[in-house]
Amino acid sequence: MWPNAEHEQTVPLLRVADLRVEFDTARGTVEAVNDIGFEVSAEQTVAIVGESGSGKSVTALAVLQLLDGGRIANGQIVWDGQDLSAVDKSRMRGIRGEDIAMIFQDPMTSLDPLYSIGDQIVEAIRLHRKISKTEARDRAVELLGQVGIPDARTRLRAYPHELSGGQRQRVMIAIALACAPRLLIADEPTTALDVTIEAQVLELIRDLQRQYQMALVLVTHDMGVVAEMADWVVVCYAGQVVEQGPAGKLLTDPQHPYTEALLTAIPTPETDKSQPLGAIGGAVPALHEMPPGCRFQPRCRHAWQDCTQPPPVVRLDGGRSSRCWLRAPAPTESRRAEPEQELA
Amino acid sequence: MSAISNSATPEPLLEVRDLVKHFPITKGLLNRTVGKVHAVDGVTFRIGRGETLGLVGESGSGKSTVARLVLRLLDPTSGQIHFAGTELTRQRPAELKRLRRKLQIIFQDPFSACDPRMTIAQVVTEPLEAHRISTGKAARRTAAELLERVGLAASDLDKYPHQFSGGQAQRIGIARALTTEPELLVCDEAVSALDVSVQAQVLNLLRELQGELGLAYLFIAHDLNVVRYISDRICVMYLGQFVEHGPADELLAEPQHPYTRSLAAAIASADPHRPPRWDRIMARGEAPSPSAPPSGCRFHPRCPAAFEPCTNKFPVESTMGERTVSCHLHDAAEVLSHD
Amino acid sequence: MTEYVIRRLLYGLLVVFLVTVFVFLALRLIPGDVVRLQLADAPGVTEEQVDRLAAELGLNQPLFTQLGTFLADAVRGDFGQSFQDGEQVTTLIGERLPITLQLGAMAVLFGVLAGIPLGVLSAVRRNSWLDQSLRLVSVAGISIPNFWLGLLMVTYLALLFTWSPPLVYQGPTEDLSSNLVHLALPALALGTSTMASIARMLRSSLLEVLHSNFIRTVRAKGASELRVIGKHAMRNSVVPVFSILGLQVGHILGGTVILESIFGIPGMGMLIFESVQMRDYPVVLGCVVVYGAVFVLINLIVDVCYGVIDPRIRYART
Repeated sequence: MWPNAEHEQTVPLLRVADLRVEFDTARGTVEAVNDIGFEVSAEQTVAIVGESGSGKSVTALAVLQLLDGGRIANGQIVWDGQDLSAVDKSRMRGIRGEDIAMIFQDPMTSLDPLYSIGDQIVEAIRLHRKISKTEARDRAVELLGQVGIPDARTRLRAYPHELSGGQRQRVMIAIALACAPRLLIADEPTTALDVTIEAQVLELIRDLQRQYQMALVLVTHDMGVVAEMADWVVVCYAGQVVEQGPAGKLLTDPQHPYTEALLTAIPTPETDKSQPLGAIGGAVPALHEMPPGCRFQPRCRHAWQDCTQPPPVVRLDGGRSSRCWLRAPAPTESRRAEPEQELA
Repeated sequence: MSAISNSATPEPLLEVRDLVKHFPITKGLLNRTVGKVHAVDGVTFRIGRGETLGLVGESGSGKSTVARLVLRLLDPTSGQIHFAGTELTRQRPAELKRLRRKLQIIFQDPFSACDPRMTIAQVVTEPLEAHRISTGKAARRTAAELLERVGLAASDLDKYPHQFSGGQAQRIGIARALTTEPELLVCDEAVSALDVSVQAQVLNLLRELQGELGLAYLFIAHDLNVVRYISDRICVMYLGQFVEHGPADELLAEPQHPYTRSLAAAIASADPHRPPRWDRIMARGEAPSPSAPPSGCRFHPRCPAAFEPCTNKFPVESTMGERTVSCHLHDAAEVLSHD
Repeated sequence: MTEYVIRRLLYGLLVVFLVTVFVFLALRLIPGDVVRLQLADAPGVTEEQVDRLAAELGLNQPLFTQLGTFLADAVRGDFGQSFQDGEQVTTLIGERLPITLQLGAMAVLFGVLAGIPLGVLSAVRRNSWLDQSLRLVSVAGISIPNFWLGLLMVTYLALLFTWSPPLVYQGPTEDLSSNLVHLALPALALGTSTMASIARMLRSSLLEVLHSNFIRTVRAKGASELRVIGKHAMRNSVVPVFSILGLQVGHILGGTVILESIFGIPGMGMLIFESVQMRDYPVVLGCVVVYGAVFVLINLIVDVCYGVIDPRIRYART
């Protein structure tokens, strides 16, 4: 459970709790997500941060039940008071695109190469709105204009291969906005783009989020993107949330050794070139060979004997939390007996 | 355009002059040439022994083509490449092969060129056998030493590529490249696909190896922070040409060319108090296709500071100490200061 | 696009020309002599008579002169006369080609109409028992030769149901039902491998497409599975199916030679079969050139279809 103080009064738009996602592989069943939970309120931007294998993208896909081959084994995904993991397929289809829209990492392959971009935007509109093709095309022109594609009416006839990566991602955003959703999930939306284009696309997402009064779940590995975009940050490691909190505090005063290490591993213009970078030793454990106890413990500089036991999720000030023995109050004995403790 | 370091030794390890690579665009019944992609359009640079030259630019800038030309994996349209005093573009295949020992490359995906059924021992010893340096047990011993040097274990020799994570794979790629005792290692987006925690490990390893073996690097990447950290000097490339060159720290701290300024402004920062990138000076729009580069300064359609000469006149390079920049703003500044 | 079609047509003509030359020369290498075969029944044939007949048929001239004469005539639409009865080859082909085209079209139609749903079913119910058995059927369908399947059909239908194909062929205008019944079985036998190949190819290309990113985008829009498959996945999977179809046309044309003979259908296939036996060179040659041309033309149409389906191919061709 991941309650956060700031939003206790209001009912969140989306609440993900105790999520576990499993995949069947040749090596047996693996857990891509072990325990991830967070809340998103209206118009809020929540960043889910982590490296490959953290489960961040799987979580995003699980919300819309777009997991290719995976299944939600445990937990709740509550949208507007309704548990999505229990709804039928047709209700789920009604939510996709209409209430929750999604854009993906790779704009080069995320559009159907055989249909014009106009057709693909019109499709997104007419799946949920009973309007004529002409009306839908007018709306598509308006959308293309909003995402910054010039000469929108003629560009409707363009095919994806005629557009650059940045333009395709703009088209993806136009498709996502087609029905003015209340939540946009963006899975690494700028990772495949050049830096100067990345900034343009992020600014666009930010502006449109305000214009459409959307909440935004931003899945990323880039702390720089987090700093610019997020209100609330959820840090994932090996399928678990290790820390979450408000962006400003989390980035300046991390409460989990992993978050701290991640921030020092990134070279900045101020990094001392004469010193080695603050690398985290080892690699993210493979899904089928998770270490017992704390999953970060084999790579953690602060690891001590307690870390071989699963750490508690410790609640801290300002709705923050950290999954770490270092933040848990003494004494050790009671800690083992009761793994969920609160720090007063 | 030149990017010749003033501090370079009399004979640099690598010296590239006016390198040009155009790819023809063919069309129609007779495959007639209707145009060309200006992938690399006249670049000049030097790398001294034990030095790191960073090459940054966005996709389509031609930076990977430069890497392939330096290794002679591609034939240049014109220009010269001198490596350790020998002109590479005029060498016969046998001589070229001998020189290639001293010139190795690591790619973004180290196993992309390997058969997935090869063991790591085979992957790492392949260059040794190809260059007839050593075979059999001797080659295996070298491979084991190198694996340990890059932070893996000799017992990894009998494993297969799929058993390694991205960071370990890149270490194997480095071990393989080191087998022939190269003097120059071209790193083409070698750390770009790695997670940040692992990227830092590989960067540290590259720095250690440079200290120990006196390697020179041509380090190609799009992440300016990473390039600054590892490089002594940086060349900024845009649509096949160098727009600015200079010592890494200075170039980033005080970028002179508007494109470099845009790149520097586009660096994301994890500091939540810094204003977002889009509020800083930015290049407009997207880079045009290298098959139809703009007239005059190639950056002018995106440049926030473009003025009259930029659209039709090619900017000349101006030199300030160790730095060079090709921009009309600097012509004007110089003219004014001389007046 | 027009330029592309013209270029492909020119290549096609070259292929047909090469086929003609090759078949012309190959026919003369077959042991057996048309002159002696024709005179076989006559007792006491003299060498003089043989030479006279050979001269009549133009067989006494050097091989390359004969080839030149044939090609010169063929360009003007004259494929010569049958050695058997002196009938114009073009007349013979004109009578028989429609029958074979009808049979071929029925075989293709069966292959496509049965192959596509089987392929889709296999892909959608991947790894179910249905998929497993459909895949088994596909492998069998590809491996079993069509003439054997034809023989099997005739034999078992006769044995079990005492049913045999009509003795006399009737054209679709004469008696449509008899015509269709007559052609149904050979069409089935001919189309089975087409069906199996299409099902197999469609299964694998659909599976690949269904895991692609743009399909995930369509699902994220809220589209139904029917729409995902019917509108997006199918169109993206169909290009490899088309190329299979082009190749299968060759397979079907070849199959008509034996199957028409088994089922007593007086089409081009049977004409070839008989003419080969009688070393009736002009007829065999004429038929083979027509088969070659049909194959080239169908594959040209298939290639043009790629461009209609895929804008990227269209773009690359302009």
